[in-house]
Amino acid sequence: MDGIRVGNRLIGTQAPVTVGWENIPRVEGGPFKQFVFTWFQPVALFALLAFWYYAPNSIAKASTAIGIGIGFKVLLLGLEWVNPRHESWRLTWKELATDLFYVGLTYTLIRLAENYIGSGVMAKALQHHFHWEKLAWFIGLPILVQAFLISFIFDFGQYWMHRGMHNWYPLWLPHSVHHYITQLNVNKGAVGNPVELFLIGLGIGGFFDFIPRAALIAGTFGLAIGTYQHINVRFNSPRWWRFLFNTTEHHSLHHSQDYEATRSNYAGSYIFIDRMFGTCIDGEAELLGMEGGRRMSIREQMTYPFTEGWKTIRQRMGRPIAVPAE
Amino acid sequence: MIGRRAIDWIWHVRGSLDIGPTQSAEDAFNRLSPLFRQAGTSHECSNNTLIFRKKNQAAQDRMAVFDGGILQIDTSMSGPVLHYDLNSRALLFCFLAPLLFLAIAQLTILTGKFDTTPAAQAIKQPAPKKPGIPMNAIDKALGAPAPDTSGKDAAQDKKPSPTPGYVFAGIFAALYVIGRWLEARLVRALFRAHLLVS
Repeated sequence: MDGIRVGNRLIGTQAPVTVGWENIPRVEGGPFKQFVFTWFQPVALFALLAFWYYAPNSIAKASTAIGIGIGFKVLLLGLEWVNPRHESWRLTWKELATDLFYVGLTYTLIRLAENYIGSGVMAKALQHHFHWEKLAWFIGLPILVQAFLISFIFDFGQYWMHRGMHNWYPLWLPHSVHHYITQLNVNKGAVGNPVELFLIGLGIGGFFDFIPRAALIAGTFGLAIGTYQHINVRFNSPRWWRFLFNTTEHHSLHHSQDYEATRSNYAGSYIFIDRMFGTCIDGEAELLGMEGGRRMSIREQMTYPFTEGWKTIRQRMGRPIAVPAE
Repeated sequence: MIGRRAIDWIWHVRGSLDIGPTQSAEDAFNRLSPLFRQAGTSHECSNNTLIFRKKNQAAQDRMAVFDGGILQIDTSMSGPVLHYDLNSRALLFCFLAPLLFLAIAQLTILTGKFDTTPAAQAIKQPAPKKPGIPMNAIDKALGAPAPDTSGKDAAQDKKPSPTPGYVFAGIFAALYVIGRWLEARLVRALFRAHLLVS
């Protein structure tokens, strides 16, 4: 494969990718379908923002956010059924069960761990140790500005954590498991080794004092933008949307079987962070995964970072590893 | 083993299918062979029996949910019949997953009892009323509700609760029932479609 030159890089020499918005297929079907799949994303985002901005305090609670999050994802699963991007990414019972297992881990074990060793706890400990006050000026900003900044600062940190995972072997080990997914579906963002799921959730929000409603709106940015990273739905995302926000197209390229393509589009929600640092590539891929698309079992996903790390340590220490005879 | 047979329906899917009087065992296995020429699948065929195994099967493999199985063709009074016995670790895992999530829920309760973190202490005590939280003039002009000063913080909802564990136990119990029924139907339809292809 010749690949496509993007700046100094050759993308798609190892596996097929599509580069450039003009080369990406549009939604097929009648005018109603075209309308729905063109405007769904912005309408959902602005409707959710308006809801959280004006909801009475008795409704604007984390439990409401969890309910909306579940409802929204069920709706997106319905859209996957109606208008799949690729037939080869169709959700099967086994894929759904696997994905939900990781969603379950996130809501239970990882949340439990975060309660004791998460970034919020660390921020509190640092503030206590150094007698720092919370950054109280933050709470005087308009709610939407607070919400955007919470979301942006988290995504900015996530960008560098994610980029670090692709460039530093000890961090790559837990993250590599996530790159063994071979298709994108709504809950695929949760698939990964629990160590990575914990690391990617770290943020510095604990240093700021903000109105609780702003945190809920920040969560909405993640829900109504970041969720589209992993989804098997074809949208005609408006030009401004795909310039600012991460899309399935961007993230499918990040998951492609082409090594050079995976080193792009690191941000979670705001693709303009990638544009700022020169790592954005506009395009898409259908063939995803590692090792030619080998699907990894849950058991291997749980152990792989540790077994691979152990193998590497033994190699570095000079001990030979038994290799089966050809 | 009788004891095992009584419970292995959890992860085994068994069934039989008439393959038509004119079809030999060899013809039938030839027609089914595309199903076993998939990445990560090995199979061997001898006499009237086909044995297959799958490892790291692709997500879109039509039989991805199964890890191995035996297909046998017997000749009965009414003609040749395909008997199949397929096993699935995914079904077994899904059957056991509710127990895992119930255990996690219990662990959450247990850790909550011994939780001495400041956040947990704050939750146990009645929340102090917050002093007036400043509201930006733009938000006032746009009509946003004033910040809650009752002391109940939205973040307080985030304390670890066993409820998600119970919810996911229920989800996986439902998923198992659906999967056990659906996958048995799908594989039967798949075999039938291949065997009856003209």
